[in-house]
Amino acid sequence: MASLEVRGLTKVYRSPEKDPGLSGALASLFHRRFRETRAVDAISFDIAEGELVGFLGVNGAGKTTTLKMLSGLLTPTSGSADVLGHTPWRREGAFQRQFSLVMGQRSQLWWELPAQETFRLNQVIYGLSEADYRRNLGELVDLLELEECLSVPVKKLSLGQRMRAELAAALLHRPKLLLLDEPTLGLDVVMQKKVREFIREYNRRTKATIVLTSHNMDDVVALCPRVLIIERGALLYDGPLGELVAEYADHKVIRAVFERPVTAAELAPLGKVIEADGLHAVLEVPRAQVSKMAAELLRALPVVDLTIEEAAIDDIVRKIFTHA
Amino acid sequence: MRKYLVSYTIALQQVLQRRSSLLMDRVGGIAVIVSLYYFWMTLLGGKDSFLGYSREQMLSYVLAMNVLRSFVFTGRGWELVGDISSGRISSYLVRPISYHGYALALDLAQKTVHLGASFLEVGLLVLIVKAPVYLPHAWTTWLLFAVSVALSSLIFFFLEFIVSSLAFWTSESGGPLFCFELFLQFAAGTFFPLDVLPAALRQVLQLTPFPYMVFLPINIYLERVGAGEALGILAVQGAWLAAIVWAALSVWKVGLRNYAAEGG
Repeated sequence: MASLEVRGLTKVYRSPEKDPGLSGALASLFHRRFRETRAVDAISFDIAEGELVGFLGVNGAGKTTTLKMLSGLLTPTSGSADVLGHTPWRREGAFQRQFSLVMGQRSQLWWELPAQETFRLNQVIYGLSEADYRRNLGELVDLLELEECLSVPVKKLSLGQRMRAELAAALLHRPKLLLLDEPTLGLDVVMQKKVREFIREYNRRTKATIVLTSHNMDDVVALCPRVLIIERGALLYDGPLGELVAEYADHKVIRAVFERPVTAAELAPLGKVIEADGLHAVLEVPRAQVSKMAAELLRALPVVDLTIEEAAIDDIVRKIFTHA
Repeated sequence: MRKYLVSYTIALQQVLQRRSSLLMDRVGGIAVIVSLYYFWMTLLGGKDSFLGYSREQMLSYVLAMNVLRSFVFTGRGWELVGDISSGRISSYLVRPISYHGYALALDLAQKTVHLGASFLEVGLLVLIVKAPVYLPHAWTTWLLFAVSVALSSLIFFFLEFIVSSLAFWTSESGGPLFCFELFLQFAAGTFFPLDVLPAALRQVLQLTPFPYMVFLPINIYLERVGAGEALGILAVQGAWLAAIVWAALSVWKVGLRNYAAEGG
């Protein structure tokens, strides 16, 4: 069963335009011109129950706008969305009780009070029984290692602790759909890993549908079997992460270790030199020529070790964005 | 309903947590009440009445003003402005709770604490300087007064909501809010009874909701208006409230549309 069905979703922003300088400001008092920006342009996709989908795009590509429409904060200019059987922008209570939106930079926690006060408030907002509340909270505190953070005022928590408390607040009511906007923004590497592990575990345990946006490729590679790539409002790719590599990577990567220092000039005829520090080198070679170039490398230079790898996913995605 | 009750109790904790800002607020209030009290004492001199107020009524006006300022004019307009301009308001819009109901619960928490503090201050002043206190003779006066204060609090809540909603359009809505609060306190009669103003200015003010927020409720309390006239005041307050609620909800609706239109 589909959790989300999106058809031709479009959002056009109208923003006033002003000529430069004081005369421009005066002119705009009397006659306003508007510029239309198509932030999201007729995108369509389905997401099945329990899927974990990564939503990728550079800043301003339309990720957050889409997420805002799916959570009901924005009304689209045209198109439709069916989310858990509801039209999100009608903001029906029955819909809001089934989903959660977590924005990396925005907090729903009460700043001066311990996080458990916000948890209590969410208990009554979502109408959770005491038993459900205790069970869900216990589970989340366990998974997120929140025990010692519960009674400390939120403003005294570290960024990582706060993000985890934020996740707990958002998940207390066991939403069927979780929209995550940049969940690892600003966290250190260890904390990023913890948050990722939690998201994966939560998805496994509860079968909740999760859509996450991130410009941290590690998040997506670690979590999302399927990705949607959006660029200037249009859907550029929708499919398995693995196929993205096969479809878009036109090169492979050769790593080599040498017996004696080798210069970049010696390597240049064999492929694009990415790294060369004497004893180590990394080369980018067109897919079709990989075996030929590898043989040539082994023949011409004193190679000790050689590996051939697929291109890194973030490289591919970056390439897609720069070509788009 | 329970969600608003819990919002109220959490907000109560938050107000008490912010001890220093509460203390500053109250110190400011005490300075105003003490200086106004002595100002009127001096002005009254040995006279028994002034502008149609008995000595007891005039000094009670000053004390009542402190209580009403604490109850009616305590709100969280600044926080609303912050919620809107920081985008924090989104987290309420996606949860099954009415933002107006939630904000009202939070306001009530602030009012509770400030009302308590103002009673304490007035009580101390009465004890220390033996200030005369006017107590209404008829029990109906208490009732009329209570209803009138409830209405003016709601008028203030929604008026402040309108002004704070400017944050949907401009990042400089703090200025209008500050001017609004200052003008409001003057026009409502929190610095002096409006009787001291020239008749023409008073007539203009009568056409606004402001005198109905402090000046007239205190007049009901001091029994300077009869029960019939008091009912008339309540009716006008009700009408103003209806109009202001309508305006606030309309501005909110348009503002939300505008808020949503801001990219990201």
